[in-house]
Amino acid sequence: MSPELIILFGSFVALLLIGTPIAFCLGAASLATVVYMGIPPLVVFQRLNSGISVFSLMAIPFFIYAGDLMIRGGIAERLVRFAGSLVGHMRGGLGQVNIAASTLFGGISGSAVADASAIGGLMIPQMQKRGYDTSFAVNVTVSSAIIALLIPPSHNMIIYSLSAGGSISIADLFTAGIVPGLLLAATLMLVTWFVARKRGYPAEPFPGWARVATYAVSAFPGIILIGIIFGGVRSGVFTATESSCIAAVYALLITVLVYRGMNLAEFKDATFAAVRTTAMVLLVIGCAAAFGWLLAFFQVPSAMVAFMRSISNDPIVIFLLINLLLLFLGTFMDMSPLIIITTPIFLPVVTAFGMDPVHFGAILILNLGIGLCTPPVGAVLFVGCAVGRISIWEAMRTIWPFYGASIAVLMLVTYVPAISLWLPSMFR
Amino acid sequence: MSPALTRVSSALATLALWLSAAGLIGMTLAVAWQVFGRYVLNSTPTWTEALSIQLMGWFILLGAAVGVREGYHLGFDILRIALPGRPARLMALVSHLVVLAFGLAMVWYSWDLVVGTWTATIPILGWPGGIDFLPLLGGGALISFFTLEHLYNLAAGHDDGTGA
Repeated sequence: MSPELIILFGSFVALLLIGTPIAFCLGAASLATVVYMGIPPLVVFQRLNSGISVFSLMAIPFFIYAGDLMIRGGIAERLVRFAGSLVGHMRGGLGQVNIAASTLFGGISGSAVADASAIGGLMIPQMQKRGYDTSFAVNVTVSSAIIALLIPPSHNMIIYSLSAGGSISIADLFTAGIVPGLLLAATLMLVTWFVARKRGYPAEPFPGWARVATYAVSAFPGIILIGIIFGGVRSGVFTATESSCIAAVYALLITVLVYRGMNLAEFKDATFAAVRTTAMVLLVIGCAAAFGWLLAFFQVPSAMVAFMRSISNDPIVIFLLINLLLLFLGTFMDMSPLIIITTPIFLPVVTAFGMDPVHFGAILILNLGIGLCTPPVGAVLFVGCAVGRISIWEAMRTIWPFYGASIAVLMLVTYVPAISLWLPSMFR
Repeated sequence: MSPALTRVSSALATLALWLSAAGLIGMTLAVAWQVFGRYVLNSTPTWTEALSIQLMGWFILLGAAVGVREGYHLGFDILRIALPGRPARLMALVSHLVVLAFGLAMVWYSWDLVVGTWTATIPILGWPGGIDFLPLLGGGALISFFTLEHLYNLAAGHDDGTGA
C-alpha cells in the first residue's frame, strides 16, 4: 500500500474510532492526504462543493420531508386501522397488522427509523394491552421496519445511485425493491404466525368488508402517494427529484386540507426534523465526493477487484463474503454513510463478477437494513426498544427467528437475481 | 465561553436552523414551480434548477453546522461511550480539534475559491461564480465557531452531552 493510501485510510479509521462525525472523518482524511501529496488543498473543497451541487441529490431531503409531513398529519393511524381490518384476523393478529402497516408505510416513507417510531408507537402499546410479550412486539416492529427501506420511495436507493456515480436508473432501483420488500413481509408474517401459534397469541375478529372499505377510503389519500411517485418516475412524467418534490407538496396538502391533522407548530417541527435528518447525510455525501475522488485516483476499486479475484473466482463465494462484510459493518455503523463509503469499493467488484448494479442495490439496502436492527449500533432496534421500554438484551433474546427470516430473504435476493430484476425488466 | 457568548452561539444556531429550513422550503417551491410550469403553463422555467441547487448548498451547510453544535452528526461513538472518562475526554478533544481544523480550512480555501471564481458567471442565473462557494464559507465559519464552543465546554469541564 502506498503511503498516500495509508494516510487516507489510516486517518479515516483513526478518526472514526475516536468518534469524529463521519463527514469530517472523510473530509479530514482527504485533506491530510492531499496535503501530503502536495496538491493544493483547495481541490478537496472544490470536490465537496460539486458533490453537493447535484440536482438529483435534492430527492433525499424531499422524500424525507414528505414522510415527516405525512407522519405528523396522522397517516400512521389510518394505515394501522386499514392494515388491522385486512390481516388482524390472522393468527398473531396484531403482529400481522404491524407488518402489513409497515409495508403500507413503506410506500410513504423510506425511513426504517420513522417506521419503527410511527408504527411501533401505535402497535406496541396495543399489543401489550392484548397480552403479547413486549419483546415480541418490539421484535416484530423492528424487523418489519426494514420493509419500508425496500418499498419505494426509498431515499437510500437514491443515495446508492448517487454513490455509484448517478448512472443507475432510480426508476429501476425503486422497482427492484418491491418484490424483495413483499417477500420480506410475507416471510416475517409466516414467522409471526409460527411464534404466535407456539405462544397462543390471539387473532382479532374480522370486522367485515364494509369496515375494510371505510378504512381503505380513509387511508387512500396517503396510499396513492406511492402511485404518484412510482407512476411519475416510471413513466418519465417526472424525474425522481421532481416526484419527490411533488410528494412533499402533496403530503402537505393532504395533511392540511384532507386529514386536517397539522397546525403551524407541527409544520415547523416537520421541517426542522427534515433539516436535521438530511443536512448531515448530504454533508457526508459531499465529503465522500472528495474521498471517492482520491479512491479513484489511487485506483482502489480495481485493486479491490484484483484482491477479491485472488480470494476466489466463484461469484457465489464473493457475494457471500461481501454480504458478510456488509452485515458486520452494519452492526456498528449507520446505513447511509455505509452506502456512501462501500458502494464505490464493492460495486466494481460485484459487476466484475457479473452482478447487475440494480440487483446489488437491492442487496445492499436489505443487508444494511438488517444492520439497523442489530446491536451494538442499530438505530431501528434502539427506537423499538425505547418505544417498548425494554432493554436491548430483552429484545435480543427472542429476536432470532426474525433475524433468521431476514437473512434467509437476503440470501434469496442475493442468489436469485430475478427476485429484484424481474419487475424492472417488465417495464423495459 | 461566558454565558453571554453561549447566548450568541445559541442565537446563531437558531438563525442557521431557520435559514436552513427556509432553504428547504425554497427548494421545494422552486422545483414545484418547475413541474407546474412544464405541465400547466406549457413553458419550463430554466432558473428553477440552478436556483434550487444554490439553496441546497445553504440548506446543507447551515443544517450541518447546527448539527455540529447539537451533536446529531452520524458517527461511530460507541467506543468513546464504552471507555472511562479520561481517554474518552482525550478522544473528544482530538475529535473537536480535527473538526475545528477542517472548519478553518473550509473557510480559508473556500474564500480562495470565492475570490478566484468571482469574475466567472453562473449559467442561467447570471450571478458571479464565487457565489457557488459562499455556503462553504459560511458553513465553515459556523462549524469552527460551534466547535470552539465545544472545546471551551470541554476545557471548563462541562459535559455538554453532544460529544464530538
